[in-house]
Amino acid sequence: MSVSQDDVAAGSSSSVAPLLVMNDISKSFPGVLALSHVNLEIQPGEIHAIVGENGAGKSTLMKILAGVHKPTEGTIQWAGDEVSIGSPHAAQQLGIRMVFQELSLVPDLSVAENISLGRMPRGRLFVDRKRMARLALEALKVIGEELDPNTLIADLTISQRQLVEIARVISSGARLVALDEPTSSLTEFEGKKLLAVIKSLKHSGISVIYISHRLHEVLAIADRVTVMRDGRTIETRSAQGATQAELVQRMVGRDLDDMFPKAIVPIGPVVFRAENLTGEGKFSDITIEVRSGEIVGLAGLIGAGRTEFARAVFGLDRFDSGACFLNSVRIRPKNPAQAIRDGIAYVPEDRRLLGIVPPLSIRENLTLSILRRESRAGVSRAGVIGRRAERAEAARLTKHLSVVPAAIERRIETLSGGNQQKVVLGRWLATGPALLILDEPTRGVDVGAKAEIHRIIGELAAEGIAILMISSELPEIIAASDRVYVLHEGSLVAEFDREGITEENIMTAATGALAS
Amino acid sequence: MKLAARLGTKRKLGFSIGVPATVLLLLMVGSVSSPHFLTVSNLLNVLTSISIVGIVAVGMAFVTMSGGWADLSVPAVIATGAIILLGTQPTLGTLGAMVVALAACALAGAINGIVIGYIRANPIIVTLGSNIIVLGIAQAFVGGRIVYNSDPLANQLVKGKNLGVPFIVIVFLVLALIAHFILARTVWGRWTIATGGNYAAAAASGVPVRFVRGIAFVLTSVLAGVSGCLLALSLQSVRPVIGTGYDFSSFAALVVGGVSLLGGSGSIPRVLGGLLIVQLMSNIMVLHGFPTTAQGLAEGLVIVFAVALDIKLRKRSGGL
Amino acid sequence: MEQLSRIGVALLRGRLWVILSITLLCGSLLVPGFFSLRTLAFSLDRASTIGIVAVGMTAVLIAGQIDLSSGSLVALCGIVTIGLQPMIGPWLALFLAILTGGLIGLLNGTLTIVFGIDSMIATLATMLGISSVAFLVTGSLPVSGTDPLFGVLLTGDLVGMFTTRAAIFLLLVVLLQIWLTRLPSGRNLFAVGSDIVAARDSGIAATRVLMGTFIFIGLCAGLSGALFSLQVNTGSPVFGVTVLLSSITAVVMGGTTLEGGKGSALGTLGGVITVTALTTASEYASVPAYIQGIIIGTILIVLIVLDRTIGRSLRSATDRGALIQASPEEPIPREKENRNE
Repeated sequence: MSVSQDDVAAGSSSSVAPLLVMNDISKSFPGVLALSHVNLEIQPGEIHAIVGENGAGKSTLMKILAGVHKPTEGTIQWAGDEVSIGSPHAAQQLGIRMVFQELSLVPDLSVAENISLGRMPRGRLFVDRKRMARLALEALKVIGEELDPNTLIADLTISQRQLVEIARVISSGARLVALDEPTSSLTEFEGKKLLAVIKSLKHSGISVIYISHRLHEVLAIADRVTVMRDGRTIETRSAQGATQAELVQRMVGRDLDDMFPKAIVPIGPVVFRAENLTGEGKFSDITIEVRSGEIVGLAGLIGAGRTEFARAVFGLDRFDSGACFLNSVRIRPKNPAQAIRDGIAYVPEDRRLLGIVPPLSIRENLTLSILRRESRAGVSRAGVIGRRAERAEAARLTKHLSVVPAAIERRIETLSGGNQQKVVLGRWLATGPALLILDEPTRGVDVGAKAEIHRIIGELAAEGIAILMISSELPEIIAASDRVYVLHEGSLVAEFDREGITEENIMTAATGALAS
Repeated sequence: MKLAARLGTKRKLGFSIGVPATVLLLLMVGSVSSPHFLTVSNLLNVLTSISIVGIVAVGMAFVTMSGGWADLSVPAVIATGAIILLGTQPTLGTLGAMVVALAACALAGAINGIVIGYIRANPIIVTLGSNIIVLGIAQAFVGGRIVYNSDPLANQLVKGKNLGVPFIVIVFLVLALIAHFILARTVWGRWTIATGGNYAAAAASGVPVRFVRGIAFVLTSVLAGVSGCLLALSLQSVRPVIGTGYDFSSFAALVVGGVSLLGGSGSIPRVLGGLLIVQLMSNIMVLHGFPTTAQGLAEGLVIVFAVALDIKLRKRSGGL
Repeated sequence: MEQLSRIGVALLRGRLWVILSITLLCGSLLVPGFFSLRTLAFSLDRASTIGIVAVGMTAVLIAGQIDLSSGSLVALCGIVTIGLQPMIGPWLALFLAILTGGLIGLLNGTLTIVFGIDSMIATLATMLGISSVAFLVTGSLPVSGTDPLFGVLLTGDLVGMFTTRAAIFLLLVVLLQIWLTRLPSGRNLFAVGSDIVAARDSGIAATRVLMGTFIFIGLCAGLSGALFSLQVNTGSPVFGVTVLLSSITAVVMGGTTLEGGKGSALGTLGGVITVTALTTASEYASVPAYIQGIIIGTILIVLIVLDRTIGRSLRSATDRGALIQASPEEPIPREKENRNE
């Protein structure tokens, strides 16, 4: 279901020789095929958007373009010649520039210095400040921005900094600029300004690759759009006359294997309720309910505020207004220990950063949250850990979760990703929660372990635990959830019950296309 | 992943086998190369010099294992313990003076603990600063003069032996045993290691990480105070520089014994092993009349090498 | 509350001037003739020991690193200068001392860059190593030199009452200032300290720059230690920690941050002057040395605490962290490769 070179040529908007041709690019990492026969063609002076859900392969493709990865298969042609982009430096030599969300400006240097960073004009010894300022003003003029070249970056707003980054890109002689989610930190006004700047790039003959989830922006600014899904290019078409609905349909239209058969579980009363929860700048006015035995999916794009919401509920971060109720009792989680006592468990998103404690054994990782005297597992007395009780609990958990190998004294680092995830899950199960929040439970886990983890989640639901599952993998959400909430840029935009849970519905809501 | 796992176990094994093996090796080298080595008096000397440093090292181990890197205020706290003990001894008697001295040390440790554990400032810079501050306060306390021991009985007790084992060594072994129990068998000990192993994960799992980090500094200061008191009682008089070098020696013992500077791993037996290695090395060199330059250089190199090795292994096993 | 924090932020930004003004005010009140030429010359000379090290430390901190070994290195090089005098003559001993500094700098740089050890930990190890060497070499006692006249030659008055040493210090400050503000490699230092990955991607030879800074501070420490020991004709192992603390305090006071990417030579000059003024005023007021230590130590800790609490709000969302972790658990900033897929 991928696009061939002819299809791409057919979608071309002009007959001028293309600037960039990525031909039949495949990229595999150990255990996973990230890109498969991807075709991309960029004309000079074109604004070309790439859309696709998380994990579609956009980032990998950009990394190949930036010289960070090398393709396993396929060729790249630049201005007619076949090239091999072996390093970021090589990419820059060609004239390829990346602008990421995290800007790489130096706060204590001036605008002019940042624009000329690494290429500062110099006399015999000293920096040639006059020439540097002139270069800066020239670049700024191209994008129509007026800034004093001597201002320190530290004194600029985020929007201004972004413009400086773009000016830097221009000044360094870029011919192709790739922007990744550039408007996500900007106000609406600043966003419009940025789009105008991108148009001026086009007028200077610079090609732009525009990656964004904001489909209305994409349609407003792009000449052509390429849709990617599951590591493939699905379609390249002109942006003229395209609708957001059409794009969404292309982004998600896939055959769903019945990977995760969902068991029918009796659903009980409401266990957890968040009412008008707001965290300044991160999420606002979220009202959610989860019932006993229910698996509620929380969908949305990266940055939509789902993890921030979960962390606030769990007491890892603070929220500014609203209330949480567990079994109709108002709770005020000030820190994780308190949340655990109340009966909430949170399995974090990033296993390596927030989950496993690498030097410790499986047993020690499993019992980490239940060491306190008052925990129901009774693993310790008067501050001393009872060896037998601890071992028994650890053994019970590894068996329950089919952790392989079940040798509880082994260091957790020796386990595979999937089994590590199970151990982290086990740590939380041991606390006997009423509400279990899972954040990307099968990220970085192989297919076999994925199915197992889902089986376990189903069993937990059957035991009466209320489960809130955050996931960016649509098949997972669709297969496992009884209900789905969708977050978009911090707000709750949709709630779907069993019949309404479809990829299109969810993706439409997640990209904010519902409003249009 | 497999390679990383293998390296991780390798590192643990490496230190588990390497340390005792080195100790044995040193014992053999010592006994073969010098007739004075295996004498009771020499070995008792070694044990005694281990003990004072050892008490401090045991405390420092908590700091390092919880991820706080090191406590550089130890020299000042030792001096504080010693000075306050001898300074208040005439009025409060030895035992009373000891209580006051240890309380003062605990206070110093608490300030370290709050600034480092709760405000989360850099431990090295902070303890560097508090080292000088505490030393200044201690000297101000006694008005800059030298203080003398006024309790000959205590002096005899501390310098004496029970069942042939020096008093100081007994104190050290008891404290080491308690510390070992805490780290290996109690909730607090488990929390300490978890905090050092992965601060964020421990915090997310309900471990009171800030308290754990902070209290480690209090413990180190109290134990340093104990060392200071023992020194004061056995030496008869105390100058403020009495604590010099103990940060180095305890740090060396930790690092050589395999307590990772990055936190999350280590144990009291390892600290013991490190103490033995450093001290035996030094003892052998002294017996052979090695120039002091060579000794210092050797010990310095050992530290740098041990730290580099530790970090290299940790990095490759993905622990970072 | 908002108003208070805004005042706090302004105070933090201008902290050098605040502290300097207070110090100079107290100084002039407590000490008669505080602003006399004689006092100034004397203070400047005394400032040089810490000052020369502080110049090197400024570069290192801006680069996002730290060198904890510079204090004990000062002591060691002083010992080398004096201790080797009888054997190889004063000039050669001096040269060797400074060379030692440079070599240790090279070692620190290698550990940090080649071995990838965080500079805080690496220089902690070398600090303790050097310290032990210094103590053991001298048997914890000071060493006396054999050629005191040589010392006078090098550290004596140059112009009027101003000493050679003070001149060297000021010269270094000026050189550093020029390098940091006008030379490309100096400007690039800020980039390296701010985000080394981005700096490399921009074509900056980060490794070369970093190694250069480590060697530079090593040489500074060597020079400072040599000059100090020559002046008092003594090599002693004990004052390493004070030098380290005072130089860090001076640099931090002057606006250079521990996180990297920010700092200035003139700021350091101001910080050094402040610290020295404190010391001089304290001495004239017969405040014993250990109390001075308390004051400096407290200032440093207060500055750091303020930086952690109020200073956080100064840093904007798109600033990245630096190579020195401000506290051990803050994650090392991920390289771009680890961003969301």
